Amino acid sequence: MPTPLPAITRRRLIISIGLLVISPLALADGPWLRLEAASNIVGDTQPNTAGLHLDLPHVSEDGSAVPLGLSFDGTLGEDDYLTDIHLFATGNPNPEIAVFHLTPMGGLPEISTRVRLNETQEVIAVARSHRGETFATSREVRITVSGCLMRGNDDQPAALSYPRVSAPSHLAPGEAGEIRTLINHPMETGLREGPNGNTLPRHIIEHFRVTLAGETAFEAELHRSISANPYLRFHLTPTQGGELVIEWQDDSGESAIHRTAIDVG
Amino acid sequence: MSQDNGRSGLTRRQLIQGMGAASTLPLLGGVAPFAIGNQSAGRVVVIGGGFGGATAAKYLKRANPAIDVTMVEPAEVFYTCPFSNLFLGGLRELNAIAHGYDELRGRYGVKVIHAMAEDVDPDGHRVSLSNSDTLDYDRLVLSPGIDIRWDALEGYDEAAAEKAPHSWKAGPQTELLKRQLEGMDDGGTFVMVAPENPFRCPPGPYERASMVAHYFTQHKPNAKVLILDAKDNFSKQGLFTAGWEQLYGDRIEWVGLSNDGRVTRVDANNLEVETEFGTRHQADVLNVIPPQKAGWIADRAGVTDDSGWVPVKAETFESQRVNDIHVVGDATVATPMPKSGFCANAQAKVVAAAIAATLEGSTAPDPYWANTCYSLIGPEYGISVAGVYRVQDGVIASVEGAGGLSPTDAPEATRALEAEYAVGWYNAICQDTWGTEA
Repeated sequence: MPTPLPAITRRRLIISIGLLVISPLALADGPWLRLEAASNIVGDTQPNTAGLHLDLPHVSEDGSAVPLGLSFDGTLGEDDYLTDIHLFATGNPNPEIAVFHLTPMGGLPEISTRVRLNETQEVIAVARSHRGETFATSREVRITVSGCLMRGNDDQPAALSYPRVSAPSHLAPGEAGEIRTLINHPMETGLREGPNGNTLPRHIIEHFRVTLAGETAFEAELHRSISANPYLRFHLTPTQGGELVIEWQDDSGESAIHRTAIDVG
Repeated sequence: MSQDNGRSGLTRRQLIQGMGAASTLPLLGGVAPFAIGNQSAGRVVVIGGGFGGATAAKYLKRANPAIDVTMVEPAEVFYTCPFSNLFLGGLRELNAIAHGYDELRGRYGVKVIHAMAEDVDPDGHRVSLSNSDTLDYDRLVLSPGIDIRWDALEGYDEAAAEKAPHSWKAGPQTELLKRQLEGMDDGGTFVMVAPENPFRCPPGPYERASMVAHYFTQHKPNAKVLILDAKDNFSKQGLFTAGWEQLYGDRIEWVGLSNDGRVTRVDANNLEVETEFGTRHQADVLNVIPPQKAGWIADRAGVTDDSGWVPVKAETFESQRVNDIHVVGDATVATPMPKSGFCANAQAKVVAAAIAATLEGSTAPDPYWANTCYSLIGPEYGISVAGVYRVQDGVIASVEGAGGLSPTDAPEATRALEAEYAVGWYNAICQDTWGTEA
């Protein structure tokens, strides 16, 4: 089912008309214009539809954990870099999936995670750069519940237990290092019924922060559409090494911290 | 045993033969509407002699014997993946999962060529074979099964598979794994690496773990089974988990994706694997079920997409990319239908009906499909999941309320009956596909 069109704001109407006049073949009608939260990120700019890529399966048999990849090979001016990438699931009860905040240490903008998709729908990514460039892309994913798949028991380890991190111990200057993280957490949406028929209260990790030698290197705001046991893979290109501190913080105020060291040289 | 497992009053054989649309096609006897003299009613080449290919060839001939049907399959004997786990468990000999092509040749008049299809020219409608022959077709049916993605898992290549077998194509690889299990010391650990979706036979890894555990209870009472999985959920998970606990106690350990179960590196020489977050596991016998893709001839024909699988039109299983080529079985993107032999068999009947109808200028009836995946947890402990599928809004969809899973709290007698039904299912579908008598 397509998402119903929201009332078109004046601003968007003007943008569309402008695009029609200037270049009828341009990117006028991306799905990001039909989702207010996404069009707010784009603002008055015309997002570039080349450069930002979403990697998702065309068909997924398990909507509870769909692997999602983000990458960027667009053109940016010298000293410019992506500052934030926003992910939306247009067909979920709450479309926000996550926001990733990147820094000049972001180097290689390549991020992976796993997301919940309620039904067949379009997934949107919108990115902004430090100098105000915007990029947008979308991808349709078909969700089926395979007849040969069935959920197991909900035997979950405690929330925020077992933080797992894989990070390089040494990087050459300018080398992009891949960091992978995984932590146990139910990411309870607050929309699901428990065994006794009562709605289970919302309980999710909201903030994910990475610092290197005391400086913020990567941050993420996570929403309910991130799968249970959040997985995040990203890259850092540090100019100098130091202690890498990774922190997950959930909406009950609890947090988990993992420390390791990266040596650069 | 004239009743199916309580889901309907049909016998299993009727049920299987009714799958797909072919049963609604009139049998044309020897009279083909367009055959004049010896002229053919059309040339169909079928590549692959497994569940999909053999069924397509047979049901094309059943629909219209005047269609010139040629099947290309390198092997003279086909070993089924279904029930190959029973061979590993010591419940069945290898020759009891072997099938030949005598019925296709002798009874149905299919030309069977034992060669490898090496290339497809979709514009010229021509297939070239390893024996240098070429075959012209009006319609081509590909039932290429799966190939291993040798580049997808670090350290796992064809040489590694001789030490750490995948055994995900039945035959020599299955025998190799069986020999390794027999040679293993009591007290050793059998480590299985299970892939993420999609892959051939979703419940297969877990049935295999069950059958290996059964073999251990008989011959290596101190041996363990460790499953390292790239998924958090798997087919019939609750039923498997309960069955394992009941039959094997803590002999089988399963580590899912969220507990660092995803293996990212294989060292086949040392029978060691490493997970995404750096945990190393030492095996005594190592079974790596690696990521997969459509059989490579599908690539040559240009029908695969960037996922490595083949998108098809739901009604006819014709390629979405190349005209006059139909694809069936594990190679296709047919979700929610699983990649199973039963589905390949049902899809092949739909394709046979569609091609026969096209060649005579008529329209095939609306298709439907059904599937049952039986799995044995023990010799007398069977479970199943069944589904019925139709085309809805242009895509394949499950029929709500049809099919279902074995009950979670069934008595032992029910599990024992399902184990019998599994054997009945196997005998019936092999009879339907290759004419093999049980």
